[in-house]
Amino acid sequence: MLALSGVSYRYAGYAARVLHDIDLTLADGEIVGVVGANEAGKSTLCLVASGLAPGSIGGGLTGRLAIDGVDMKGRPLHEFSTRVGIAFQNPATQLSGVSGSVFEEVAFGPMNLGLPARETVERTKAALASLGIEGLREREPRRLSGGQAQLVVIASLLAMRPAHLVLDEPTAQLDPEGTRLVGEALRRLAATGTAMLIVEHKADLLAELCRRVVVIDAGRIALDGETAAVLGDRRLVDWGVEPPSSVRLGRALEARGLEPGLIAGSTA
Amino acid sequence: MPAPVGVILADDLDPADARDIARLVPDTPSPYHGLNPLTKAVIATVGSIGAFAAGGYIGPIGLNLVMLLLAFRAGVLGQLVRISLLLTTPIAVSVVLVSVFTRAGRTVLFEIGPFDATVEGVDFAAQTLVRLFAISLSIGLFVMTTHPRAFVIDLERRGVSPRVAFVAVATIEAVPALVERAGIIGESQRARGLDTEGSLRARLRGLLPLIGPVIIGTLTDVEERSLALESRAFSRPGRRHLLWAMPDAPWERVLRWVLLAGLAATAIARVSGRI
Amino acid sequence: MSWGRFDTRTIVLIPIAIAINIVLGQTVFAALKVPIYLDSVGTILVGVLAGPIPGLVTGLLANLIWTYVLPAPFHNDYAAAFAIVAAEIGFVSGVLAQVGWFRGRPNTEPTRLVVGAVVVAAVLLAIGYYGFLPFYTDGTFSFFNPDVTADPFFTIVGYVIAIGIVAAIVGLVALLFVRRDLGVAYVAIGGLGCGILSALISAPISAVAFGGVTGSGTDLLVAAFQQAGSDLQTAVIQQGLLSDPIDKTIEFFIAFVILQTLSRRFVARFPQGEKAIGLEGA
Repeated sequence: MLALSGVSYRYAGYAARVLHDIDLTLADGEIVGVVGANEAGKSTLCLVASGLAPGSIGGGLTGRLAIDGVDMKGRPLHEFSTRVGIAFQNPATQLSGVSGSVFEEVAFGPMNLGLPARETVERTKAALASLGIEGLREREPRRLSGGQAQLVVIASLLAMRPAHLVLDEPTAQLDPEGTRLVGEALRRLAATGTAMLIVEHKADLLAELCRRVVVIDAGRIALDGETAAVLGDRRLVDWGVEPPSSVRLGRALEARGLEPGLIAGSTA
Repeated sequence: MPAPVGVILADDLDPADARDIARLVPDTPSPYHGLNPLTKAVIATVGSIGAFAAGGYIGPIGLNLVMLLLAFRAGVLGQLVRISLLLTTPIAVSVVLVSVFTRAGRTVLFEIGPFDATVEGVDFAAQTLVRLFAISLSIGLFVMTTHPRAFVIDLERRGVSPRVAFVAVATIEAVPALVERAGIIGESQRARGLDTEGSLRARLRGLLPLIGPVIIGTLTDVEERSLALESRAFSRPGRRHLLWAMPDAPWERVLRWVLLAGLAATAIARVSGRI
Repeated sequence: MSWGRFDTRTIVLIPIAIAINIVLGQTVFAALKVPIYLDSVGTILVGVLAGPIPGLVTGLLANLIWTYVLPAPFHNDYAAAFAIVAAEIGFVSGVLAQVGWFRGRPNTEPTRLVVGAVVVAAVLLAIGYYGFLPFYTDGTFSFFNPDVTADPFFTIVGYVIAIGIVAAIVGLVALLFVRRDLGVAYVAIGGLGCGILSALISAPISAVAFGGVTGSGTDLLVAAFQQAGSDLQTAVIQQGLLSDPIDKTIEFFIAFVILQTLSRRFVARFPQGEKAIGLEGA
């Protein structure tokens, strides 16, 4: 369980806060989507939830971040890494650049933890298997496609065995094939019990994976509720969010005086 | 090609896993390749510095021959000689011109205008060339027969900090990546009409807009890369348990000490004027 | 005054800085064909952003890796011998950054700019007249005394150096006023000093290890100086003192411009970043 209580954050060297009074809980095994306009604070939220803000980038954090009941204030970053992993948009900058094979890349994290080799190998194999990429194990990381690289990134995080995973627009820089690959991988992951916080513009993906969706507007939580309710809310457009295609289809039908549910999958 | 015989694998691995890990170890096409990286590094160092310590002709020429012989056994002789010649020729030309013709000397061989070629100049040039070639061959042999990651992993096994190991390997990847990045940006700029061929001014004008985005772009990557590393416990202090490492035979350890002792002895003898 | 820190960001920066060193070092020389190597920009950046010790380490590692680890076509057999010089460059730029010499000082009032210009001109003239000229011309050069008969070679060299120094002064002063940034003056003096120091340190290495040559056009200079009577060591120092200060000053400027171009937010996250570029303007 990852709980943000009354969290506000401002970047180093800036007086203005970017996040205001955030109360957000990610329960065990829960999958929560995060939507909002650009610059609304979604990425900052991810950095705070993973401890990188203020741990790596400095800045001022007020409020409390507790993981499994433990207050994480002032903890060293490697302690965060075994509790919450974070993946960003660009796969190229997340690969360590020092591994000759995907296997060693995924093993990088566990090795940094000082684990014995046997344990490292166990975790690496499990991580690769959970995403279905055992076939890539001997490939060179820098020769992978965007989607494959992103899967390796996620696998290398999973090898740390965090209970929570934060994904900041994981498909934003991928082509359609890469997006499909990552989407499928996330579906598989959803079944394994890892709690996930997914920031995405592709509301369709969230509609499918998430039980809950949170809307961030100007650094505050504007709405936090069950997926269908939130993604069907008419105020989404005001918050700079595009609803999923099912909702848009339904509204288009409605606008022509037809039943929203006429086409399979469309809603209002 | 199978992994080198005796590659050190972590001892707590399952046999099946061990076999899989062994496949990740770089190939060693010859026994010389299979030597421990530190041994090969010592050989390279002794070869290059030894050429200076020894002085005169016999020592350096001998070292050159040893390197050529080792290269032959390793199967890289042709490549090594070719690259060494390529790298040494520009300097060789300069050495000859500068040393033969302008160096002060007494016994003049012939004259060209105000420049006189002296025996001392020729002697100095010849000695320098032999030494330069020794450096080139020694280090070239090392680089050609040693996989960089294998070298760095071996150093880490011996106690070098994982962070230094990271820097070494990351640099190897970073250089071609930067060139590639410059290539991509160069392409897009050429498409926009910026010149990279032609006169000096044109080239300068074409180069500058290229340098900026390339350098700034690669620097701003540092931020996200550090965040990604933190998420993989990179800043955790302490040693790591490596999955594999290159073998190191006892005789190699002896050889290294003998070579280094020999180098030290030669240097001392030279400095104290015995040779 | 801090010696620097090796946090994760610094560790990530170092390989990238080394890559910048190597790529700039090989490309610029090949493209422009002048003996300006620009192979220390990365080292300077690390010195400025992370501190003197990280800068020193970067210089060392850069040259050692360039020789011992990188395969062709990025390989350079001779770099390792000059690792000490590279270390010195990293250390010096780190120290200068600590005392604020890499800070941009935009919109300086004209009076202070003038003071800066005068100081730069004075320093260059002093070094040139009292240091360079006598050293290069064996004390036989004189602008104003037509009775002294000097070897024409020395006369030419003397005039070339004099013109060079004047041109440098003019160029730097112009740059100062165009950019209205007093920081230019500091960077110029810093680069000059670093260049002189580097030339002095690298000369013995070059002379002993490589017979004083580098395979480029500057070797002709070494030849000329030797022909004029200097021994190898002196000739190499003479050549170095001509090319190194120019090289280092250009590199200091490039680093300066890069630092100005990077966003404040980015620079501030480095251990010595805020100190290096000044704290004003949050």
